[in-house]
Amino acid sequence: MTNAVEMIGIRKVYPGVIANNNVNFSVATGEIHALVGENGAGKSTLMNVLFGLTRPEEGQIFINGKQVHIHKNSDAIALGIGMVHQSFKLVPSFTVTENITLGGEPRKGLLVDRKAAHDNIVEISKRFGLQVDPDARIRDLPVGVQQRVEILKALYHNADILILDEPTAVLTPQETRDLFGVIRSLVAKGKTVIFITHKFNEVMTISDRVTVMRDGKVVETKDTKDTNPTELARMMVGRDVLLRVDKAPANPKDVVLEVQDLEVLDNRNLKAVRGLSLQVRAGEILGIAGVEGNGQRELVEAIVGLRPVYSGKVVMQGKEITHASVRQRRDDGISCVPEDRYVRGVALRATLEDNLIVESYFKEPIGRGMLIDLNQVTEFSQNLIKKFDVRTPSSKVTAGALSGGNMQKVVLARELSLDPTLLIVAQPTRGLDVGSIEFVHRTIIEARDRGAAVLLVSAELEEIMSLSDRINVVYEGRIMGEVSGAEADEESLGLWMAGVGGNAEAAHEASSEHTAETLKG
Amino acid sequence: MDGSVLLDILSRYVFNIANIQGMLRLATPVVLAGLCALITDRAGILNIAGEGMILLGAWFAVAASYFFGSSMMGLLGGIVAGLVVGALFALFSLKFRAHIIVMGIAINIFADAATIFLTRSVFGVAGGFTDPKIVGFGAIEIPFIKDIPILGELLSGYTFIVYLTWFLVAATALFLYRTPWGFHLRAVGENPEAAETMGINVQRIRFLAVMASGVFAALAGVYLSLGHLQGYVDKMAAGRGFIGMAVNTFGGGAPLGVFLSSLLFGFVDMLGFRLQAERIIPIYFVSMMPYIVTLAALTYFTIRRENARKRAATKKA
Ligand SMILES: Nc1ncnc2c1ncn2[C@@H]1O[C@H](COP(=O)(O)OP(=O)(O)OP(=O)(O)O)[C@@H](O)[C@H]1O
Ligand SMILES: [Mg+2]
Repeated sequence: MTNAVEMIGIRKVYPGVIANNNVNFSVATGEIHALVGENGAGKSTLMNVLFGLTRPEEGQIFINGKQVHIHKNSDAIALGIGMVHQSFKLVPSFTVTENITLGGEPRKGLLVDRKAAHDNIVEISKRFGLQVDPDARIRDLPVGVQQRVEILKALYHNADILILDEPTAVLTPQETRDLFGVIRSLVAKGKTVIFITHKFNEVMTISDRVTVMRDGKVVETKDTKDTNPTELARMMVGRDVLLRVDKAPANPKDVVLEVQDLEVLDNRNLKAVRGLSLQVRAGEILGIAGVEGNGQRELVEAIVGLRPVYSGKVVMQGKEITHASVRQRRDDGISCVPEDRYVRGVALRATLEDNLIVESYFKEPIGRGMLIDLNQVTEFSQNLIKKFDVRTPSSKVTAGALSGGNMQKVVLARELSLDPTLLIVAQPTRGLDVGSIEFVHRTIIEARDRGAAVLLVSAELEEIMSLSDRINVVYEGRIMGEVSGAEADEESLGLWMAGVGGNAEAAHEASSEHTAETLKG
Repeated sequence: MDGSVLLDILSRYVFNIANIQGMLRLATPVVLAGLCALITDRAGILNIAGEGMILLGAWFAVAASYFFGSSMMGLLGGIVAGLVVGALFALFSLKFRAHIIVMGIAINIFADAATIFLTRSVFGVAGGFTDPKIVGFGAIEIPFIKDIPILGELLSGYTFIVYLTWFLVAATALFLYRTPWGFHLRAVGENPEAAETMGINVQRIRFLAVMASGVFAALAGVYLSLGHLQGYVDKMAAGRGFIGMAVNTFGGGAPLGVFLSSLLFGFVDMLGFRLQAERIIPIYFVSMMPYIVTLAALTYFTIRRENARKRAATKKA
């Protein structure tokens, strides 16, 4: 049996980090090979080397047994390598066909042969069982379909070796199942797949072999059937990892946040939140479960003041803040870990120090009159960096240079440094490795135990079930029903998430009862 | 005044054939400036140097026409000037990473000063340069078409650059929407990473786009100095480089859109000329009008389009 890919002694250095340190990596023809490792372990870097997006300092690459020199990524494409990136690389205004054929358009004289392109897409989409509408525009398609377009793009350019970098991070469970079907059919047709993920159940389900990376090195490659999640986690992190969350029962106190009949518009001015009511008490975690795009983002933005409320009320500790400014809400004790850390969580080009002080630069002891005390800034930042175990060479590097997990720690550190009364966390562990997930979960529970009210929004059912004291399921901008964390089971939550059943009336009554209570109290 | 009288006045003084011809002529440099903005905008580059590029194109067209005694040599001189500024602009902003806005401002200031300096040192005059030895473009009558009633008058009798501009509008549209390079250019503008991972050389496409924008702007200059006038006048671009950016935005980044929005400018500009001849309204006010009306109209229509889009979206809910 030949190896489709054989990478030997790959070394890639970025300023201050050895991203790949003498890495050996091989993938057999026709297998599904999982690649796992902590954030920043060097997985994407290794694949970027293979796909010609970056050039290593040292190392050799063999494709199908022959040594190759990949200088730029068109070389890799010509060698039959295709890659679907962590963030999709599609042109929103182009059609599916135009995106897939980009860079390899069929031609008729000087013009693009649009009929040939269209027929071509129909043909491969049929051959590989990947259904798409060739004339749909990318911007109108859901992520799951966009990903299918990315895969088709690689196949159109004759990829035999397909690299999927964290393909399931943005998918719903149903889309993930579909993707696995596609991957299996590709392998059945002789393709080879490299699959990067942070989710061990996916490794166990889909892969034939798995390679674990840590700190830029390969720890080991194993047959999937000879390993298990606990062992993988240990190899990845270098210590035993608690895959389950440990928490004491909640001890809820007064209502902190109360949302009443809230309606909020999305960016297209459609109602995304439609008459939603909920409340969160001090010392409890309320989990909002639901498939993404059911109004969660708009709900969070309305509570923190980033999006206007269309109708309804937001009440914080008895005081209405529906139209209050962001600063005022911050002063009232609201902290938020936003779902997109790259866009709203940190300023990528600012230093860690600047990122950490944005909520406190105007307060004593950092802010002094009109000036900022830079020594205080450094001290403040370094304390947080130590306390939250942010792995960074210094507090003065830019946030963009950190791995996903470390970036999330920076956001958490900043938000918790204010000792919030209400902590809102949205998709807090998306794209994070097990070690970081463990840390983030522990931090959230500690905040609860210190008496904060926590509103957790997540599309990961497992995360919701293991952290929440109460769970509300949201569907099309409304609460479908409520269960306590202890009673929740995946089955019925899943149904509610799909808009089936629910006990919305009960949930609604429960919250109006609470309202009456609060008003009395 | 009853309606029929108003209609009579309008058709006699406003919408007559001579005026429509005037509109098409005066729109020409704006169309070209719009294409200059369009081609860079579509490649994801904010090019504010159109104004300066027009000036340099105009100056070198006059110089080449004067020294070689040929309008075609003038055209060539203008194009070469456009290519050179375009290449310099691309080199500094793309390769050496100078700030694109600062670079644009630098080119505009440089062009302004350089043309004044050159007029003075080459031709020994100040403020502008005209000379019988400068050969401009004459009107071209198109055989057969010119004999068709009305249409003949509308389509025939313009200078070469006007026809070239019409051709370029169509050619740019064909290029953008039908050729592989057009697709690559638009992909580079919208998501450069998508283009790059498909093996498209982003840097090269941007470089070529900036050079093309130099040529479009230079052609606008050639039209002003050899088609509209026959000679060079300081600051003769008169803001058309910036109006080009406005018509590109208003035209939605599409060549036909640019063409139609430019007609608005041409129309008001033409009315201005007529009013100027009548001497009823102060001349400064008249020459200000095309800019004010164009910007006001563009703003108004852009706001309306946005609102319509929002309403459509809300209705779907
Ligand atoms: N373009 C770059 N410039 C500088 N440093 C980089 C660059 N790309 C990656 N690094 C660094 O190289 C290391 C490896 O990063 P890489 O993206 O390969 O990790 P990863 O295993 O894919 O992590 P994740 O699971 O978060 O995607 C990290 O320390 C990262 O900060
Ligand atoms: Mg990665």
